[in-house]
Amino acid sequence: MEEIISPIVLYTVCALGAAGMALALPRRGSKLVPLGITLLSAALAMALVSLGLRVDRGHGPGVFFYIFALIALGASVRVITHPRPVYSALYFILTIIASCGMYVLLGAEFMAFALVIIYAGAILITYLFVIMLATQAPTGQDAGMLDETDAVAREPVVGAVVGFVLMAIISAMLFGGIRDARQPDPAFTPDEVLAHLPGKVDRILRERDLISADERVARTGDGGGLIDAAAGTITIENTDLGTTRVIDEWPEYLSATNLDRLGWNLLHDHPMTIEIAGVILLMAMLGATVLARKHVELEESLKAEQARKLGETTLRPQHAGGAS
Amino acid sequence: MIDALSLAASPFALPDSVLAHYLLVSAVMFTLGLVGFLTRKNLIIMFLCTEMMFQAAGLALIAFGRYHLGEDGQTFVIFVLCVAAAEAAMALALVVLLFRRRETLSAEAWKELNG
Repeated sequence: MEEIISPIVLYTVCALGAAGMALALPRRGSKLVPLGITLLSAALAMALVSLGLRVDRGHGPGVFFYIFALIALGASVRVITHPRPVYSALYFILTIIASCGMYVLLGAEFMAFALVIIYAGAILITYLFVIMLATQAPTGQDAGMLDETDAVAREPVVGAVVGFVLMAIISAMLFGGIRDARQPDPAFTPDEVLAHLPGKVDRILRERDLISADERVARTGDGGGLIDAAAGTITIENTDLGTTRVIDEWPEYLSATNLDRLGWNLLHDHPMTIEIAGVILLMAMLGATVLARKHVELEESLKAEQARKLGETTLRPQHAGGAS
Repeated sequence: MIDALSLAASPFALPDSVLAHYLLVSAVMFTLGLVGFLTRKNLIIMFLCTEMMFQAAGLALIAFGRYHLGEDGQTFVIFVLCVAAAEAAMALALVVLLFRRRETLSAEAWKELNG
């Protein structure tokens, strides 16, 4: 752990973070929220700087990582400290988009775009709809006030301490164990997956006029192509004449994309994942439908209260319009 | 900018120290989600915080996947995404149901559920 970050810095960061978080959580009449957020950001900046100091020159994560990390964490802090739920949801979208930036930096383009579409586009919009559906309009004299539920946090000090103690433990274990993590095979080339995609290689080579119309990549018995990415050779067969030749100069533009590799991994190495995911989503859809259709029997007094509130909120704008 | 993006495409493993950066961000994001879940009273914000914890787990998975130069991490993020979507559907249906009964989103309105 010593070579990644000094333990004293890590524990200081956690203590500072807990103090900042406890101050930043919303409560009635608190003027300390900006101070708490400043403390939290100082703690985070300290952690990132002390990590960055131990990095060999030229092998750091790059300036984009720091930008995305600060946006993501700053927006996360606002998600849990903002007293208005709609703003929380919007800040969460910002968190997602910043983490998508980090995904791109890690070479996971497909997941980054899928995340923007599914999370920011679908899930969060559903959240926004429910927030708008399930929030009462403020009535009467408390029109400018926030709902008690959102304006006051429950046990902010205990929550912050518990959270950051857990973070200290998790990160100490992670950084302590990094050295024991399995190092990847140094002979790895990402293009190995192309041997399983002879059709794609055919298409690319034909577009570049490297093979003629009656030639194709020689197939092996299991449907793969006779392609050796490590040695850089592709065996081409002529389907009419039955002859073969070898391209031993690997074309530079021929490489497996992130999507090729991800698709191969998903369908070849984890074929059950998609089935299980489909079942989970189906059950969730059924469950959500059953729950939402359930008719709620309200007591008479609650019904009257609802009707009164509805009347107030729908009538008020008309009064305002009539006066002007 | 070209440098930053070419690092992403190159088949070289991440150094330990860079992995540590991503893991720290992931750990902090998870912690923020946990603190939010423990301290906020609004049911919708609580579920938003669980989504934040999913997000942190996803970031750690992708970083480890890049570290090991495999696609397993990304495949698992697809799975995490499915679970998050399923959870959102169920949770939001529940929230709407609870709201209809008590006319409030406060988790405190359901105090009698503690054992």
